[in-house]
Amino acid sequence: MTLPSKLTPEELYRTCNPLEFGFNTTADIDGPSKATGQNRAFDAITFSMGIKHDGFNLFALGPNGTGKQTAIMHYLSTTAPEAQVPSDWCYVNNFQKPRHPKALKLPAGKAGSLARDMEHLVEALFTIIPAAFSSEEYQAQEKNIHEKFQEQQADAIGELERKGAEEHIVLIRTPAGFAFAPEKEGEVLKPEEFVLLKKEERDSIEGKIIALKTAMQSIMAQIPKWQRETQEKIKELNRNIASFAVKPLIADIRNSYAALEEVTEYLETTEADIIENFDQFLEKEADPRELILGVYPGKFSQKRTSFNRYQINVIVDNSTTEGAPVVYEDKPACQNLVGDIEHISQMGTLVTDFTLIKQGALHRANGGYLLIDARRLLFEPFAYEALKKALRTRQIRIESLAQLYSLVSTVSLEPEPIPLDIKVILLGERSLYYLLSVYDPDFSQLFKVAADFEDELPNDIEGKLAYAHIISSIAQKDNLHHFDRTAVARIVEHGSRLAEDASKLSAHIQSICDLVHESDYYATAAKRSLVQAEDVQHAIDAKIFRSSRIREKIREATLKNSILIETESKKTGQINGLAIYSPGGQSFGHPGRITATVRLGKGEVIDIEREVEMGGPIHSKGVMILSGFLGARFAVDQPLSLSASLVFEQSYSGVEGDSASSAELYALLSAIADAPINQCFAVTGSVNQFGEVQAIGGVNEKIEGFFDLCKARGLTGKHGVLIPASNVENLMLRNDVVEAVRQGLFSIFPVSNVDEGIEILTGIPAGELDKTGKYPFDTINGMAVARLNAMAEKLKKFTASSDDN
Amino acid sequence: MPERQNTTLIRHIAVALDCSPHSIASLTIAAELARSMHADLTGIFVEDINLFRMAELPFCHEIRMYTSEPEHIDSSQFERSLKLQARTAEAALQRIAREFMVKYAFKVYRGMVPEAVISAAVQADLLVLGRSGRSPTCRKGLGSTARKALAEGKKPVLLIRPGFSAKEWPVLVLYDGSEGSKHALSAALDLTHHGMTLNILIFGETHEDAEKLESKLRDTITLPGSIIAYHHLPLKDGKTLMRFIRMIDSGLLVLSDRMKISRETVHELINELDYPVLLV
Repeated sequence: MTLPSKLTPEELYRTCNPLEFGFNTTADIDGPSKATGQNRAFDAITFSMGIKHDGFNLFALGPNGTGKQTAIMHYLSTTAPEAQVPSDWCYVNNFQKPRHPKALKLPAGKAGSLARDMEHLVEALFTIIPAAFSSEEYQAQEKNIHEKFQEQQADAIGELERKGAEEHIVLIRTPAGFAFAPEKEGEVLKPEEFVLLKKEERDSIEGKIIALKTAMQSIMAQIPKWQRETQEKIKELNRNIASFAVKPLIADIRNSYAALEEVTEYLETTEADIIENFDQFLEKEADPRELILGVYPGKFSQKRTSFNRYQINVIVDNSTTEGAPVVYEDKPACQNLVGDIEHISQMGTLVTDFTLIKQGALHRANGGYLLIDARRLLFEPFAYEALKKALRTRQIRIESLAQLYSLVSTVSLEPEPIPLDIKVILLGERSLYYLLSVYDPDFSQLFKVAADFEDELPNDIEGKLAYAHIISSIAQKDNLHHFDRTAVARIVEHGSRLAEDASKLSAHIQSICDLVHESDYYATAAKRSLVQAEDVQHAIDAKIFRSSRIREKIREATLKNSILIETESKKTGQINGLAIYSPGGQSFGHPGRITATVRLGKGEVIDIEREVEMGGPIHSKGVMILSGFLGARFAVDQPLSLSASLVFEQSYSGVEGDSASSAELYALLSAIADAPINQCFAVTGSVNQFGEVQAIGGVNEKIEGFFDLCKARGLTGKHGVLIPASNVENLMLRNDVVEAVRQGLFSIFPVSNVDEGIEILTGIPAGELDKTGKYPFDTINGMAVARLNAMAEKLKKFTASSDDN
Repeated sequence: MPERQNTTLIRHIAVALDCSPHSIASLTIAAELARSMHADLTGIFVEDINLFRMAELPFCHEIRMYTSEPEHIDSSQFERSLKLQARTAEAALQRIAREFMVKYAFKVYRGMVPEAVISAAVQADLLVLGRSGRSPTCRKGLGSTARKALAEGKKPVLLIRPGFSAKEWPVLVLYDGSEGSKHALSAALDLTHHGMTLNILIFGETHEDAEKLESKLRDTITLPGSIIAYHHLPLKDGKTLMRFIRMIDSGLLVLSDRMKISRETVHELINELDYPVLLV
């Protein structure tokens, strides 16, 4: 079998040649940055924004920081201005049903002018109506009507009084009414004189008084009717006067909005209401008691109420909007989305009216586009449901949450819903999209288009130029130093490292943005006018250093032999595995000792990590695969007569993943074959039941972790790492590792199957089956078979002797 | 017929109160005058003896505007109602007197209202009355008390109607050179506040007579800070005078019933003109 060659330095790091770029610095780059490699997402965006049917809203999914929002904004910045500017919306008083304010639709920019016109109208009415009602003409007419009533009343009573006087009966005003009494010489007849009268005279007087009383009663019955008639006449007069004062003013406004039917209808109802309630414009003196109590003086509060009553509450003002609005709602709380009805405290009571209706993001974005972060939306109580309801019903209905859930019991409103025509774009992680797709039946109806953003870009010239554009736009936007092409090339290389793939570049724009800012900082500190590659390297190193405390602690403990890691000798059943640690977003690798022991048994492989419940399911699966491999290779003809134990030494926090399964298999083979493993090596890679080594993640960090330890102890040229051959594409190693390889101080072997690996580790060939179906004795497999046979014999003898006993 | 005394120095003002709008207007004017003249104010409330007599009659019923059937009322009920009215009147007097910061007294009498008011006001230098009382029928002309005060009162009488303010309205005085009109002019000068207009309506047998009277007045009277407007009218009859007064449309009308025109004409003028009147 041919062993794999060590990897060359060129295979460990794909450099980006600055000469590939046609520019010297990012200042030479023109035009907006164009996201590359997101064709699938762009296609989805174009489709979603273009289709006019319901439910074709967009969910842009991808990890945070991949520039989803920027890409969508960039797209909309080209298409939205071309679209038609949507209408203005405002709420006005519903005079018939004040609890149900009316929504008015006006052409863009007209709502504001209508609001101003109405304000001026109310201002004017406070002058014109009092003037009309204090005019001599009005006063005279009003007096005339009152006088008529008084005359009517006085004439009727006077007639009766005269009639009584003819018969010596006098009408007397009592404290609460009227009474008739016989009179003599202008005075009421004294009782004693009355008694002295003849019975006929007394009866006659009584009869006359009864008749007069009846007549008086019928007059009294007429008075309320006369009063009502008088009141009606006064009302009619008031209406005429108010109408005369108001009509020309309203007509002026109506002419300006003649083409808008809804507005003219509103103005007609307003006119009727002003005429009906003209007295609100008649200023009254403030009651001094109100001033003392600190409440609004009568006339001011009256003025305020009148201003409110005829106010136009402009909910959407598109006077300065160009094209379709694009709104990003940073805090998508329910009330921020659909609007809210606020209350004010008045004498200890919460009250509201249509002027306290507040717009939401849906109002602002109506006729355009609304971008919302999906995670934030889901965190806000009731917000997601409210958004879905609006999209489903295609209207914005403002409801107070407190009212809806009976948290507050006070006067509230039910404003007329506003029709909704909008594209909602949710931005979120993939997991959210998948969860919503599975658990929310409405979701797939309302968000029919998914723009799936790639995590990576191809590491080709197009991808590299995209990086250069991004760097250039960040430098321009944030007023940073421009980057020379070496610096751009270094960032491209770092992007490849972030993608963990030499053929790819990370699409995590946020990380690139951070690196650009940090590099600029070091360039500024070094007083350079351009950011250079060394500034970028400085920033990368500094970031690693800032987060290196735990890594340094672990390495220190290893160098002090508190954590036992051999890097020199040869040991049987012991190997250096490689683990990844990821505290706080920064990953680093470090070797860990894996040991295997064998003894007589029934063929099981005991994973100590699993036994103590410190191993995760994937790790346990990996160990079981080892059992499968051992069984298939060595127990075809007879059962395995051994038991093996595997353990991660000095591991105190659990193990997960199968990237150490190849290392475990090497340790097992070493223990079974009793062949020592060279501890100069560390191993990573998972293995399948056929012994093929499979790719793992974090290969760069793992190699660097072992390299750092060896370097600290002194590189001898024997040190190296076995990695899965399929991980070679992922290599973007640190410069010092590459240099050490170049100098022959460190080696990296791409391994495809365990036979290759065990030969490199032990220096003994793995061995292949010969014609007789046996492994040569001087190979690992042959040694393992011999050992297993010996153990089987021992077990047989032991079983026989125990049976005899 | 008794002669009205020539009293221009007013130290004591009596005002008749019966809770009608006219009497409340009278009270306010009386308080304004009392303050400007440093006079005391006495409120007079008369319990109408007619009511008590009527209560004794077997068929006495009170007809109310908002009660369907007339109700029999005995004297104790009248007693209570009148006490209540008196208290209301006293409270109004107290409030207004305090507002204008004048000394005041409140007196209750029982008797025939016009006589009782006139006799109660004997000690006062000026009697202030509403033009009409509480009866709807006397709304247009003068009330019975006002008529009696004009006919029999010996002191100057001020007849008021609602909506008049002594401080704001101009004064019109009738002047014909007679002794009575001189007193009227003197009172009008006292009542004309700074910045106000005093209208003097001079009438004589002929135009020349009136001009002579005017030139005499111009020489004798001065009113710094106020405007004096002179008007001439050759005296013909009461109706012409009435028309002229309406044309001038001033506020308070000051006149005397001891002028060259007859006392009856003066009373007719007062009865017909719906202006507040001071009769001296």
